[in-house]
Amino acid sequence: MTPLTAFNLCALALFCMGLYGVLARKNLIAMLIGVELMLNAASLNALAWGRYGLVDPAHAAVSGQILVLFIIGLAAAEAAIALAIILAVHRHRHSVDVDDLDTLEG
Amino acid sequence: MVLDTPTLTRLALAALAAPLCAFAIAGLALRSRPRAAAALVIASGALTALATLAILALADAPIQQVWTWLRVGDTDLGFGVLLDPRSRLMGAVVGVITLLVQIYSTGYMAHDPGRTRFFALLALFEWAMLGFAYAPDLLQAFIFWELVGLASFFLIGFWYDRPEAIAAAKKAFIMTRVGDVAMLIGLVLLFALAGTLDIRESLDRLHSLLQGHGITSLQVEVAAALLFVGVVGKSAQFPLHTWLPDAMAGPTPVSALLHSATMVAAGVFLFARFEELFLLAPLTRSAALLLTAFTALLAALLASVQVDIKRVWAWSSISQLGTMLAGLAAGGLSSGLFHLTTHAAFKALLFLSAGALIHHYGTQDLRALGRAGARRDRLTMLGLLVGAAALAGIPGFAGFASKEAVLTAVHDVPGRAAATGFALLVIGAGFTAYYVGRVAFLLLRPTAAEPHEPTPPDAHGHPPTTAMSASILTLTLITLALAFAGPLVASLLGQPLPELALAHAVPGIAAVALGLAVAVFDFGRKSSAPPLFERVPALHGLLLRGFYVDAIYQRVFVGAARLCARALHFAETRLLDPAADGLARLTLAMGEGTARGQSGQLQRYIGVAALLLACVALWLGFAE
Repeated sequence: MTPLTAFNLCALALFCMGLYGVLARKNLIAMLIGVELMLNAASLNALAWGRYGLVDPAHAAVSGQILVLFIIGLAAAEAAIALAIILAVHRHRHSVDVDDLDTLEG
Repeated sequence: MVLDTPTLTRLALAALAAPLCAFAIAGLALRSRPRAAAALVIASGALTALATLAILALADAPIQQVWTWLRVGDTDLGFGVLLDPRSRLMGAVVGVITLLVQIYSTGYMAHDPGRTRFFALLALFEWAMLGFAYAPDLLQAFIFWELVGLASFFLIGFWYDRPEAIAAAKKAFIMTRVGDVAMLIGLVLLFALAGTLDIRESLDRLHSLLQGHGITSLQVEVAAALLFVGVVGKSAQFPLHTWLPDAMAGPTPVSALLHSATMVAAGVFLFARFEELFLLAPLTRSAALLLTAFTALLAALLASVQVDIKRVWAWSSISQLGTMLAGLAAGGLSSGLFHLTTHAAFKALLFLSAGALIHHYGTQDLRALGRAGARRDRLTMLGLLVGAAALAGIPGFAGFASKEAVLTAVHDVPGRAAATGFALLVIGAGFTAYYVGRVAFLLLRPTAAEPHEPTPPDAHGHPPTTAMSASILTLTLITLALAFAGPLVASLLGQPLPELALAHAVPGIAAVALGLAVAVFDFGRKSSAPPLFERVPALHGLLLRGFYVDAIYQRVFVGAARLCARALHFAETRLLDPAADGLARLTLAMGEGTARGQSGQLQRYIGVAALLLACVALWLGFAE
């Protein structure tokens, strides 16, 4: 097993955990944590590919890291917005259970 | 004495403004005060009559004053007044006749709940007609021409709760519209040829263009022919004549106005206004001469069998209008306009006295009127007989001089068309004398009622009021005086009336004498022999139904329109509606179907999305 494969498998495991969290947990904050895990999986993949190939060797070392920096910034912003939305939902409905939020039912 | 130009212009504007203001005030502010409305309208009518008479008598050279209200490219759209001999004569006829009809209407319409509206509309009618007569501009002429049609539509349909009045109003409006479309095209063509909207200038330019070969004579012929179609519609000439007898459904004063000075006279005046154009179009002139002479004969025949007194006068109007137009088409400007003037007076007189009889005895049936004692209304009968004598063309009366002038003008034109027209007109004059005699004898010497005739309705009528009698008397005097007005009209228009040579006059006088003799023979004796036309039942039926012209129009045009409407109705209810409904139902069903998949559960959406993404990823992976 090459190091790249090992990192990829690790990222896959992280992503699946995150997806499971998003799909299975009923608490909005837990779902948000799942989303963060999925983002981290993507970051890990980016770093691994940046370090071990697939990208132009001349910029290989930094391009993956730059991408990850952007992802971290994005994740911070996303977390802030998502938490604000969750707070607003809680104020209105006194609940953060995702099953209660079904007013768009057709 | 001759007034200066500014004064005359101001007088003309006052004559135009007075009825318009009266119409607006009476129609808007005086709805609940009929007496005040009538007084206001009559005051405006008197002002207009005085102004138009002053313009007629106290003007010299032609005056044209135009104010531009819009400039389009190089063309000025103007509004103004043109006071030349023709429009001065026409304006005075309109002013005087309208005033007398308005005064008469105070009696005739005294018991009608809608009389405010009636007087307001009379003022509108007068304004429209005067605006047309004084129009110096093609566009202005067309606008007022249409306003005349609109006002007569309102007045014919004045009793809007009577279906036949509504039908007659619609018929008048639609049939004249047929002519108006052609006329509009003709006006546009005239404008395109001459490049100006000014009527007199466009006629001058047309003349010089034609001489300099700038335009072909065919173009002029087409423009003239199109204008003539407009005249045919407005003046109720064959084949657009059937609306006028139906227009009797309006109140009698309206008929008097419509048949004499306004509406139908507008067509004749249009012809006179564009006389120079028609002189440049000999082909159209010949066709017009033949067609109008034919109409004159046809309508005189139809008038000979009517039992409704108003319908007799209606057909006689068509016949007389044909005579006028034939005179104009023959180039006899002063003959045609002189006949227009005399006809305006005696036809208004005939209608007003017929209206007085109808008002008194509550029926329009000639025989019933005679039996009810129409001859005892001395003054009314005097007016009616003077008018009838003028209409018949008995020497010494107004109609004789003007009709002979027309006949001579037609006779003086060389060619076979004019000769045929002359013959038609002479025969028409004979039948005119016949039906006039018939009316006179049926009223004066009533016959015993036949069993199948309808009995007259119980007379709730009123004898003519002072106002009505005064109007009738005035018109009687005017009619008598107009017999001697020929030379005046001729010198006003600057074209002498044709010399009344004995050879030309003999056929006309003989025809009149013959017609009267037959009328005396048919109706003047105590005899049970049926009159002329009733001896041939087939012909009598044909005449009573107006040669089936109306029935044919009903079948062909109304039928075709109905067929179209039915086809469109089918297309809409059976094709378009179901298609639209089906589309709506389809959209609804699709919406309902997809709505079922919307659970509102966020995690289910995410799961589906993830699954789909995974599938896409797998597919892409295996595709490589």
